[in-house]
Amino acid sequence: MHAPRQRILVPVAGIPSPEIGLFLAQMDDQSRRLTEDSRGATVAELAWQPRPGTNTIGMLMAHNAIVELYWISIAAGIPCDCQGLLGVGMDDDGIPLPEGALPPATLAGKDLAFFDDLRARARAFTYGWAKRWTADDLDRTVPWTRRDGEWTVNVRWILYHVLEHEAGHYGQINFVRHLYRSTPAGAEPVAPGTPT
Amino acid sequence: MTPTITTRLATPEGYRSAAVARFVWQLDEQRRRLTEDTRGLTPADLEWQSAPGMNTIGMLLAHIAFAEANLAQVGLNGEVTGHPHDVIGITEADEGMPLVSGAPPAPALAGKDLAFFDAALASAREHTRTIARTLSDADLMADVVRPPRPDGTQRVFNKGWVLYHLLEHEAGHHGQINLLRHLQRAMAGSGAA
Repeated sequence: MHAPRQRILVPVAGIPSPEIGLFLAQMDDQSRRLTEDSRGATVAELAWQPRPGTNTIGMLMAHNAIVELYWISIAAGIPCDCQGLLGVGMDDDGIPLPEGALPPATLAGKDLAFFDDLRARARAFTYGWAKRWTADDLDRTVPWTRRDGEWTVNVRWILYHVLEHEAGHYGQINFVRHLYRSTPAGAEPVAPGTPT
Repeated sequence: MTPTITTRLATPEGYRSAAVARFVWQLDEQRRRLTEDTRGLTPADLEWQSAPGMNTIGMLLAHIAFAEANLAQVGLNGEVTGHPHDVIGITEADEGMPLVSGAPPAPALAGKDLAFFDAALASAREHTRTIARTLSDADLMADVVRPPRPDGTQRVFNKGWVLYHLLEHEAGHHGQINLLRHLQRAMAGSGAA
């Protein structure tokens, strides 16, 4: 008889707001699954592009870490010190990659431990702020400037966005790993319109 | 004057639990973006495979709808056996996942257009909303103990986890759909054959 497999979502202990603790539990579950699913990825796989202009697994992992730090900094109302806290610049993930471009040189040769460390640092930063915030912070609005204008977002939305952003790219990482395994070395994926 | 765009994670009305309502808001926000990102896809786009054995966008859309209806039934409603086909008109065999290594796309989805997948997704979401409206805060912590599987394993989860899983499951596959669209464009642009 196997022990039951449990999936019990409960707020992370030690966080003043249970709702924020619940967001953290979800983010940590995503990170746990991403960690599990990325074991064994080699430097070559992390830097593999399905096609020029498309993202590598390494780029997606770095992007998740940078974006988490970016949004939590906005929620905290402080400048994003990406270089100081992660050791990479805001644009070092190379996303968005120009059409037909190769992966950024900044990530060339980086191994899984490098990307694990980026993700862990970003999450530690999130925890640091989550411990300071209360339930009232969830409804607090903050300004956000984007190319298309001025935005107003609340902290609750930021936490949701960090979660769903990580989930989306985690799905892409799994897809790229699957495609990498399905693509013979040196070959390229099938072009649209080609019978398979 | 620069216009200000406001995005707040809100608490929809009509739910017993504000926490459940906020989960539904997040699900609906994912769906809004998924809908936006899939406009204009043709049946050929929907059944394009990046390589044999890989999922198509149509398969992923069908899978999101199937999984949502199934999770709402066995996860949120506590039913012993899911019956998603009754809600979305698609069976697990129809969606074709997981696809066998080297296999072509799921044949049951051949030629289906975007309206077909939109309808399945909309039916699944309405079904989820109907069940979610009845859930209380206490229900979020309520455990669901599934019958043992043939291999002897047994799953236990709470309904809060089910709502989170619905969200991250759709978000993950949404990310994959966007990647497939990008890959289609990248390959078409390169003139690869």
